[in-house]
Amino acid sequence: MTFHLGYGTNGFANHRLDDALALIADLGYTAVALTLDHHHLDPFADDVVKQTERVAARLHELGLRVVVETGARYLLDPRRKHHPTLVSEDQAVRVDFLVRAKQIALDLGADCVSFWSGVGSADDWDHLRSGVAEVLESGPGVPLGLEPEPGMVVQWLDQALRLRTELGNPEELRITLDVGHCVAVEPQDAAACIRQAGELLVNVQLDDMLPGVHEHLEFGEGQLDLPATLAALTGIGYTGVAAVELPRHSHAAPDVAARALRALRAAQWLADAERAVRADPGVIDTLFPAAGRAVGAGQDAARVRLLTAFADVSDDPVDGFTRLYRYGTSAERRGVLRGLAEMGDRAPAAGVALVEDALRSNETDLVAAALGPFATRHLGRHAWRHGVLKCLFMGIPLTVVDGLDRHSDAELLRMVAAFADERRAAGRPVPADALALLGKAS
Amino acid sequence: MRIFDPHIHMTSRTTDDYEAMRDAGVRALVEPAFWLGQPRTNVGSFVDYFDSLLGWERFRAAQFGIAHHCALALNPKEANDPRCAEVLDVLPRYLAKDGVVAVGEVGYDSMTPEEDDAFARQLELALRHDLPVLVHTPHRDKQEGTKRTLDVVRESGLAPHRVLVDHLNETTVAMVADAGCWMGFSVYPDTKMDEARMVALLAEYGTERMLVNSAADWGRSDPLKTRKTGLAMLDAGFGESEVDTVLWRNPVEFYGQSGRLALEPVAAGAVDAATGSSVLRGER
Repeated sequence: MTFHLGYGTNGFANHRLDDALALIADLGYTAVALTLDHHHLDPFADDVVKQTERVAARLHELGLRVVVETGARYLLDPRRKHHPTLVSEDQAVRVDFLVRAKQIALDLGADCVSFWSGVGSADDWDHLRSGVAEVLESGPGVPLGLEPEPGMVVQWLDQALRLRTELGNPEELRITLDVGHCVAVEPQDAAACIRQAGELLVNVQLDDMLPGVHEHLEFGEGQLDLPATLAALTGIGYTGVAAVELPRHSHAAPDVAARALRALRAAQWLADAERAVRADPGVIDTLFPAAGRAVGAGQDAARVRLLTAFADVSDDPVDGFTRLYRYGTSAERRGVLRGLAEMGDRAPAAGVALVEDALRSNETDLVAAALGPFATRHLGRHAWRHGVLKCLFMGIPLTVVDGLDRHSDAELLRMVAAFADERRAAGRPVPADALALLGKAS
Repeated sequence: MRIFDPHIHMTSRTTDDYEAMRDAGVRALVEPAFWLGQPRTNVGSFVDYFDSLLGWERFRAAQFGIAHHCALALNPKEANDPRCAEVLDVLPRYLAKDGVVAVGEVGYDSMTPEEDDAFARQLELALRHDLPVLVHTPHRDKQEGTKRTLDVVRESGLAPHRVLVDHLNETTVAMVADAGCWMGFSVYPDTKMDEARMVALLAEYGTERMLVNSAADWGRSDPLKTRKTGLAMLDAGFGESEVDTVLWRNPVEFYGQSGRLALEPVAAGAVDAATGSSVLRGER
């Protein structure tokens, strides 16, 4: 990894700054995005110079790299959130704050001061541009990262780049990118935004999001492709701070921050592993097994991604899949079976042989994974029906069977009814799933 | 009493044993690869066995709430059969897998040149895969075999704390203690160690680096010997904490060096908790 993983102090709003910094470092982060706020290094405090000196020493002790964030909610106006902004009438208050932030950034040795435009309309563009120009010209020379923010005058990367062009491409005006925002509002994914920003990127915020919804989510709760995002940062040679931005999770900050780092490390492992497989498909022999330890709960999805990378570059992907299955543990075999849904159509015969092998096993995981979309498409009807019946025998919920409703036929129902009769004759309960299937048909 | 059996061959045991072990306090175990009684005649036979230790047996153990791990290797007896020795070429692929917490059982049976070669190559694999090693000491000529084992370990470059030398007794424990390796004792109904002699050795050598296992397999053996030894320790005046050190903390520390111990048994798959998670074949 070329860059530094960090965590934003706005996600530790209920902690003292010193405690937050210690926790962030203890967890294993190597950077922090420090949001200046009334209780976290107040830029308007009488002793701000002394405080800054102390925080700088602490960051140094903890080995934390730092960026300065300026998105505090009620720092400038106790009544109106984020007010005033660079598109407000009283823009000067915001400019003064940002210039103070530049001095603090300089004293902390921070990479940049990150800022956004403000909520307004297209008519505010010229006012915004002159405000940014004033911030650039005032105070010490510190890089500024303009962050596109959903719902603000600058909400897309394109707009941020246009503003920069209009200002004559000043060296100190650069880009902050929140990768969750990319999912929410950008016309392209986060990895593409990262590549477009390229060497102008001075600060990155990491979080998940759903399309069209500006709500910062923990990784895995939205639609961000985290491994591809981290791979894009490595790809452009980014060396700065990439800090988790979860400002509405302060109530559980220590746990959320620990989870986030686990997710980031797993995603980074996967990004590196995908790159390694694309460079040399043979390494999948050891990376495919290791995915269980490295990724944990998301290991099935991770293995499918490794198979995809492998299939793209290998001379003989079918042989590769078959070998991974042949020498695989249960979890690895499950991964191969899941991968068939995506890639099995390239070699249906080989895929069917693996599904049939899994259906002969007595491991619930394997039987369940075998009855996915690939089996629906390619497995013979007779074998498929026996697979469904085997689920009932083994107590596997029929929800694992892909397309059960669409593909149930008279013969399957006959088999299930006979199974139910046999259970009743023996005085044993009939599984609810069997009754439900028979009930739907009647 | 929580128990981690650091050496037991569950492939040879029944579900009655699993139930009794669970009731006795066994929550985790390591099943090392070994000789199955019936000689193998080809590499494929090993591959199926490894698959079974990594998958089927782990799944079976999970039904009883026991975390199953394994150690994989070519055992010394079969290292002498050229039809089997080629398994060393597939071993690296298997050592990368989850659930593999050591290379083992390796070591000597009859101390032949073939055994020398397999032993040395597998110690090298342990170094490369960053795994600890479980070493079997021979039934015949045990003292000489143990001495030679410690020499080979020393030459391998493996740190002594990465090595567990097993099946020790009164005549071999001192040299292993001096070498700095972990010391394993198999408590058996009539051969190897018994509970009373084991307690005497613990009184003499202390509990540090000492592990007790049942080594239960297809022969006459008892998977509850770990618990029986723990009870004998309590009767002899050892405290509960010392019993916990021998029966839990020591194996956790030794195999934990692999970074792959998972002491919560893996959930038994896609089965609804309400319906139970056993290997049902319609028998209920």
